Parts: sequence; C-alpha cells; structure tokens
Amino acid sequence: MSRSYACIVSPNAKEDKEALVSVAHQFAYSIEVLDDGILFDVSGLERLIGKRSLIARKILEELQKHNVPGSVAVAETIETATLLARQNDGVSNVVHSPDTFQKLPLSDLPIERDTLNVFTDLGLRRVEDLIEIPREELIGRYGREFEEIIDIAEQKSSAVLTPNLKESESSWSYLLDSPVEDFEQLIFLLNHGLDDLFVRIAHIGLSTEQLDLLFELSNRTKRKYQIKTSFPTLERSFWLKLINLRVSLDPPEAGIKAVNVIAHFTKPRPSQTGLYAVSRPEPQSLLLTVNKLKKLVGEENVGVPVIIDQRAAEAFTLDAEAMPAGRESIESGPAKPIIAFSYFRPPIRAEVLVREGRLVFLRTKYFSGHVIEYSGVWRANSKWWENSWKTQEWDVEVEAQGVYRLCKVGHEWFLIGEYD
Amino acid sequence: MRNLSLVKPASQLKEEQRHTEEILLESVGIAFFRGSVAEISGGPSSGKASLTLSIIAKLTTAGEICAVVDSAGGFDPPSAVLAGVKLENLLWVKCAGDIEKAFTAADHLVQAKGFGAIWLNLNGLPASKLQLVPKTYWYRYRTRVKDTPTLVIATADEPVTGSASQSAFVFSRERTEWSGSGRFKLLREFHIAMHSRKQFYGRPIPARIEADYRNV
Repeated sequence: MSRSYACIVSPNAKEDKEALVSVAHQFAYSIEVLDDGILFDVSGLERLIGKRSLIARKILEELQKHNVPGSVAVAETIETATLLARQNDGVSNVVHSPDTFQKLPLSDLPIERDTLNVFTDLGLRRVEDLIEIPREELIGRYGREFEEIIDIAEQKSSAVLTPNLKESESSWSYLLDSPVEDFEQLIFLLNHGLDDLFVRIAHIGLSTEQLDLLFELSNRTKRKYQIKTSFPTLERSFWLKLINLRVSLDPPEAGIKAVNVIAHFTKPRPSQTGLYAVSRPEPQSLLLTVNKLKKLVGEENVGVPVIIDQRAAEAFTLDAEAMPAGRESIESGPAKPIIAFSYFRPPIRAEVLVREGRLVFLRTKYFSGHVIEYSGVWRANSKWWENSWKTQEWDVEVEAQGVYRLCKVGHEWFLIGEYD
Repeated sequence: MRNLSLVKPASQLKEEQRHTEEILLESVGIAFFRGSVAEISGGPSSGKASLTLSIIAKLTTAGEICAVVDSAGGFDPPSAVLAGVKLENLLWVKCAGDIEKAFTAADHLVQAKGFGAIWLNLNGLPASKLQLVPKTYWYRYRTRVKDTPTLVIATADEPVTGSASQSAFVFSRERTEWSGSGRFKLLREFHIAMHSRKQFYGRPIPARIEADYRNV
C-alpha cells in the first residue's frame, strides 16, 4: 500500500506554529514540525477524501480558515512533498501537484555545488533531465552516496517521518443530550472517558498527576475542578473516586451539559519498594482517605499539624493542603514521656475563690474542689500588629480532680485545658 | 492436612518480616500489639495523652504515618512536639465534638491500612454520650486492623472498648510533684499507676511522667 505525506510550508511558520499544528491534527496523528512548516502522514485518507490532489485542497481550505499563508503538497514520499511545498515559498495558499516535481530545478535537490555546476555545463537543469541518465552511470561517477539523490529524483525515497511534536496534555470531552443535575449519574460516562484517555497516555509511555475537569452548565456558566495527586498514576478507579469526592465536596450549581477532561502528562512513577522500609498507607489509599475525611468533617479540619513560628496564644495550626510525609528521622524520641496538655473546647467557665491573694476553691458546672497546689500567675501578651492578646494563667491542682490551666479574662475565670 | 493449619500463610510471614509485632514502650515497660485495638482510660490528669503521644512519637520517628482523630478538639501540637512526635508524619482530623463523625473518621482510617497508629482521642467527651456508641464499632475496627501493622488506640475517661481491645489499661494519678515553694512553684511530675483490665490479678505498673518547659 502506497503512503501519502502532506507538507505545508509557511513564510510565518514559527508564528503560526499552533495554527499549523491544529490544521495537521485534523488530518493526522503522526506530525513532524519543520523549521519552515509542518509535515504529516495522510496515508489512508484517499478512501475518505479521494485523490491526493483532493486531500491537498482540503488541507488548503483548512489553512485558509485559520488565515495562515502557505503552500501545500501531498506526495508519495516525504522529500517529494517537502520539495514541492518549498517551491514558491512565500506565495499564499498554493497546492502543488506531484506531477510538477519533475519540473523542479536540480538546485532544489541536496546536490553538492561542484556536481551541480557539472550538471549545468552538461545541460542538465531539471529533475526530469537527471532521471534520463542511467542510474548505474551516475553511481559509477559520483559514488554510492549519490543513490539517495537519485531515489529522491525518482520519488522512491524511503525516508520516514519522525514525529517531534511534544504534547503536554490530552483531553476527552462529551456533550450530553440534556443537562444532568446529579454528578454521580455521570460516573459511568467518565469511567469510559478516563479509560480512553489513559489508554492514549499509556500508549506514549507517560502518566498523569493532574486532571482538569471542566463542566459546561445549563445556566451558561462553566465550572472547573483541578484535581492533583502527589504521584503519577493511571489507575482509573482511583481517579474516579477522587473526582467523585472532589465534586461532591463542592458540587456544580446547575445541571451539567458537557464534560471535558484534560490530563496533564508526566513521567510514570518508578515503583521500587524497600525490603526494610516501614509500612505506610499506599499513596492512593492515603489520598482517598484524606479526601473522604475532608468530605466528612470539612476541608479545613483534616491535615498536618504545624507549629507557627510567632508569638501567639495558640502558636499552631492545621495545614489542610499538606499530606503526611512518612519521613524517617535519625534522632530518637525522648526516653521518658512528658506531661501533655489537652485543650477544653470551648473553655469551661469557672468560679474561683481567692483568699488573701491565694487561689483556694474552684467550681465549674462539672466539678468543684479545693485548690491543693498551684503555680502562677503566668502573664503573657503581645501587641504584634492588630492581633494583640494578653493572658493571665495559673496551673492548678484541684482536690480529687486533675491538674488544669486556669485563665483569667477580665473578671471571668476559665479552665482552658488539662494536663494529661 | 490438619497439621497444615499450623503453618502461617505466606502473606502473614511477609507482614511479619516488614515490622515487629510489638510496640514496646521501654520507659514504662508496657507493650502494645500491632493489628489490634488498645484502650487507655482514666480520670483527669492521669497521663492518657502523655503515654499515647509517646507511642506516636516512637512510630513517627521511625517514619511511620500516624493519625489523630481529635474528637473534642483537645489535641495540642506543641505537647506532641515535646513528646518527640514528628508532626510531618501525623494526620490530624478535627471532629469538633461530633462523636459520630469521630467514629466514622476512625473507620475510614482503619480501612486505609498501613497507618502505624490511629489515636481515637475521646478524652473530655461525656460518658453518657460515649455509651450510646454501638459496641460493634470496636469489633469492626478490630477486624479491620487484624493482620495489618496498625495499632488503634482509644483514650477516654471511662473504659469504652469492652472485649474488643487486646490490651486495656486504666490509668490513675497517684500524686503530683511540684517544685519550689510559696508563690514560686512549678508543676514537675505525675506519678501514675497503670492497671491492666485484661489481667485481673496483675499488679499495677508504676510510671512517672515529667513536665517539659522547653520552648517548642
């Protein structure tokens, strides 16, 4: 079966690269971007469109739609198509027929200047003139290397197209007949879409760690979800669960009319497990669990605790964006347990009896008792920027109860936590 | 063929190679078993949180990932740091006093498999509320973590796990040590007695936990 290659040469190839690629994509998957244009494999399109001249016309029509100037040629070999397209470089929107190839000047072929001068002296000026000379004589005179030029002239070259278009993403989309209110009804459809998408990504030996989900809604708005993982994976069921959790956390405000999924390429994850590595949840499992927990208790309530390096009453926070790292430490923990503190949320209101400057008795709605020992008062404050704060605290041991941190705000007393 | 039942399955042998079955707390001389539910109960200031943080510190230092289900919002990260917990290896789930959410969150965590320890912190929640929680939750956790490296630790003011826990300790504070005199005193030590609920005739194990005034 003969092959067909199309070449577009454009005077503004660099500026119009995206448009040229877009045109080429409508006819082929195998595309090579050249310095002055684009080359693509259109083999098989004869059945769909017709003869090569018709394919060239179609390509030209697409070029005109994109307002890109250029010359188009479709031929059996790459060199023929390229040389034809490069003819009349700069002229807008021209189709070159392969029949005109033989009329091309010999100077268009990659022939050394000295040899070309000899040919000119001999009156050989066009490709058709070169073809007339017996092949063996030319090879005998100019060596085996000249065979390549003869092949080009005879349109028998076996050069192959080298796809060099590096894509960074791939997409899948689906337009629904009528809007769907409940996203869960689309899961089966998305399952099919992801399957299609991931097969394509796996085929080029890549993976993904980011999916962009774009919904067109019935209220003429669009809703975008960016779903990222900390590792590349093409596990469809995992992505489906993650998408479902993410969308259910923040569902679209209207019915979904169209779905578009864009997968960003990344290198696949090398999987190598250590014999002596400690066991941790699988990254997929951890990410899914964290998302389930966020759905359950709210996004801001699940994460990694972080100590804040500033003078504040409660100098810690929860980083909802972070995931537990599972990092090993060389240092070992302290040998002895320390007295930990636990907060009461909200703080428990207390009545405190103070006699001669000493804390004597404490009563809350849960318990009451004599204060056996206490330390304090511990005063702390800060007026850093607007968030000024001031505390007066005591550590108190209450008879037959526990050891608590007592705080005084104005004239009111609170138990803010317990030493446990 | 009957003898074959004594042979451990390959999957179990593989798991055993990967981690030790016990988490030993040398400082207090007690061990907890992975793949089980452990309970630490006790009154106020009895050292429940301190001891649990020691376990989590040991595991997170080794690079294991642990989780805290903070039912009542009492978790104090600076205390955890002082206890040696590596916060970057810890997942903190705040449930704002909602018991149902706390138990469901713990359920999600035990299903994930691979956590070193999951601390279901029920400290400060009223016993009347905890009694309403179906006991089946605990058996469910026990079944889920069996043959996994995960230790589920439940801490509460009263025993809650029933017979679902493999080890259960009741902590009580025997005395509190204060240093200094007059107005200038400092909390120094808790002297704790740990009674095992699973060994009726066992003697209580004494332990000391000290205050740490380092700045985090």
